[in-house]
Amino acid sequence: MSTRVAGALIGVVFGVVLSWSGMTSPEVIREGLLFQSSYLFLFFFGAVSTAFVGLRLLKRKAPPALLTGETVQWETVKPERRHVAGSLIFGIGWGISGACPGPIATQLGQGIVWGVPLTVGLVLGILLFGRMQSRAHARPARRAPAKSPVVPSPRAADATA
Amino acid sequence: MLHSQLPWWIGGPALGLCVVAMRWLMNERLGVMGAWSDIVENVSARRLSFGPFGWMLIGLVVGGAVFGLIAGGPDFHGYGWLTATFSGTGGTIIVAAILLGCGLLIGLGTKIAGGCTSGNGLSGNAMVSPASLVATATFFATGIVVTLITEALI
Repeated sequence: MSTRVAGALIGVVFGVVLSWSGMTSPEVIREGLLFQSSYLFLFFFGAVSTAFVGLRLLKRKAPPALLTGETVQWETVKPERRHVAGSLIFGIGWGISGACPGPIATQLGQGIVWGVPLTVGLVLGILLFGRMQSRAHARPARRAPAKSPVVPSPRAADATA
Repeated sequence: MLHSQLPWWIGGPALGLCVVAMRWLMNERLGVMGAWSDIVENVSARRLSFGPFGWMLIGLVVGGAVFGLIAGGPDFHGYGWLTATFSGTGGTIIVAAILLGCGLLIGLGTKIAGGCTSGNGLSGNAMVSPASLVATATFFATGIVVTLITEALI
């Protein structure tokens, strides 16, 4: 099986689960963020703890990846200003719309027309980031930056995207 | 059956296993924002060949469609508090404009932060990556505060 087929299959499972659990619905997200329902937090807890246990087992064994053969391993990332700044911007959009990148894709799949303006905005945001990134790194640095840049270099972004 | 919400203790772990599968199969960090980027970057370079992440996004859309077809459409109408607050033709335009702005914030913010609810929230936290813990605390806190503010205003 190619990595593309595997990626697509994982996407289908992810999409069905997101839809079936109601994560596609802005009302479910809103009830969670208003603490009117515990579902969002329990769902998130269930997902992270399962992934945590699975990744621990993988890290301990460090087997070759089943499809690519490379050793399964990863580096962790230290917090920088961009993680806070970016998540603040994202949090505003998430709080108002109750949507994030995964559910926007499943909204499109379910034929929810409101997913279209969200998608257009999302794509514009990605393009805007690319433009900010090339501008920030085309400009010669006058002096060494004292703080970590809010817009990461292309290589740093690739490592964590 | 599909219209009743999947219990969290099935849905949550199922998503967690997707993260594990991505790592075990190809040593990659599952992140939906990376999937969107793969499509956007390839299309803007006039290429129509995608990597595993681009195909994951296509899979997500297909997954939503499969669920919609089996369940007989989405189980909600309108768009939550936004369409409830802004009604009529003018309201539709306002909601579409707000959602476009939100999409922009979501796209830009997650690119700057190097991950969204899946890349940082799910995968990064499961990897115990300090940057992801900080990012997740930030977007959850911001999301809660913004939701409370809009709730107080309407």
